Amino acid sequence: MRLEKCWFCSSTIYPGHGIQFVRNDAKIFRFCRSKCHKNFKMKRNPRKVKWTKAYRRLHGKDMTQDSTFEFERKRNRPERYDRNIAENTLKAIKKIDKIRSDRAYDHIKNRLKTGKIQRQKQARKQLEQDIHLVKAPLALAQDSSLHLPKITVNVSQTWTEENQPMEE
Amino acid sequence: MATRLQFENSCDVGVFSKLTNAYCLVAIGGSENFYSAFESELADVIPVIKTSIAGTRIIGRLCAGNKKGLLVPHTTTDQELQHLRNSLPDQVVVQRIEEKLSALGNCIACNDHVALTHTDLDRETEEIIADVLGVEVFRQTIAGNILVGSYCSFSNWGGLVHSHTSIEDLDELSTLLQVPLVAGTINRGSDVIAAGMTVNDWTAFCGSDTTATELSVIESVFKLREAQPSAIVDEMRKSLIDSYV
Repeated sequence: MRLEKCWFCSSTIYPGHGIQFVRNDAKIFRFCRSKCHKNFKMKRNPRKVKWTKAYRRLHGKDMTQDSTFEFERKRNRPERYDRNIAENTLKAIKKIDKIRSDRAYDHIKNRLKTGKIQRQKQARKQLEQDIHLVKAPLALAQDSSLHLPKITVNVSQTWTEENQPMEE
Repeated sequence: MATRLQFENSCDVGVFSKLTNAYCLVAIGGSENFYSAFESELADVIPVIKTSIAGTRIIGRLCAGNKKGLLVPHTTTDQELQHLRNSLPDQVVVQRIEEKLSALGNCIACNDHVALTHTDLDRETEEIIADVLGVEVFRQTIAGNILVGSYCSFSNWGGLVHSHTSIEDLDELSTLLQVPLVAGTINRGSDVIAAGMTVNDWTAFCGSDTTATELSVIESVFKLREAQPSAIVDEMRKSLIDSYV
């Protein structure tokens, strides 16, 4: 039993799931579910279909280069079974898996950081400019928290002959 | 010494077994008779291993090997690969090959020094063969058939090829392989030599349909007939006896 990867979406195919298609040139295509199989039959390129791992890796959404990926290679030259090595490998698998998923999470978090700052700036601008969409002007006037406090400034103006308005 | 046997009533013993100078692979059958026949001949000398490849019993036609290594197709499961690696001695390198032509036993015929391969084999596969098996690789056809692994069977001492091989081809192959070759049949006239028999430097196993004539041809070309005492005495008599009275 071997857990294969779906050719289209790169998810793991567990036993009892999916379809395998063998082309005339002896290349084997494995699909995890009919969604991927039907997309393949429609001749869609997985690198252009947004929800696949191939697209996400290609467009930098997911982590591509990492040393933890080296551990999951398919090996064609086996080594003699050794109990200690097998035990250590099983422990290592768990650890490596945790490290890989943590790094993948950090990669996505870093990618989304710049967006957060932009979003906050936009939100502040919207609060200043578009608040009238949400609250009526009268309510705005009464509620002191939604606008800057009004400061009364005393302006002294001397009455001179020129300044007096024309009485007519 | 050539032995005649059957695998579950089939005379194609070369399909269900693989014999080399360092190990012997046997298919898992319903009864133990096939395995016992190999064990009785080879038990103390080389390991006899029961295995399957890709879940099938046709292991002789799927894998190719000699005393230095064993090549298995990409369809071999991880568990089978691990079983082979655990059972074989450490000098034998076990390698799984990614190759379109996955029946390696039909595509590659080899002994410990030289290998003949299918003409359409990948270049990487050819390099892997040269590296793992430690042999010189030649792309050839036999009597116009590209499946060289099926239509010829050779060891370090001699070889048997398809009966319709022309004499020029026979000479050419003989010079390439550096062993004497004979065109013959197995299992009452079958041309698929490697399917009907399996051979190494000191034993051979053939299907039970093999006639006595075919068996004697096999024993002579593969140099399996043990040196009989009478032969030595005949040669010595000439030097010992000066003249007959």
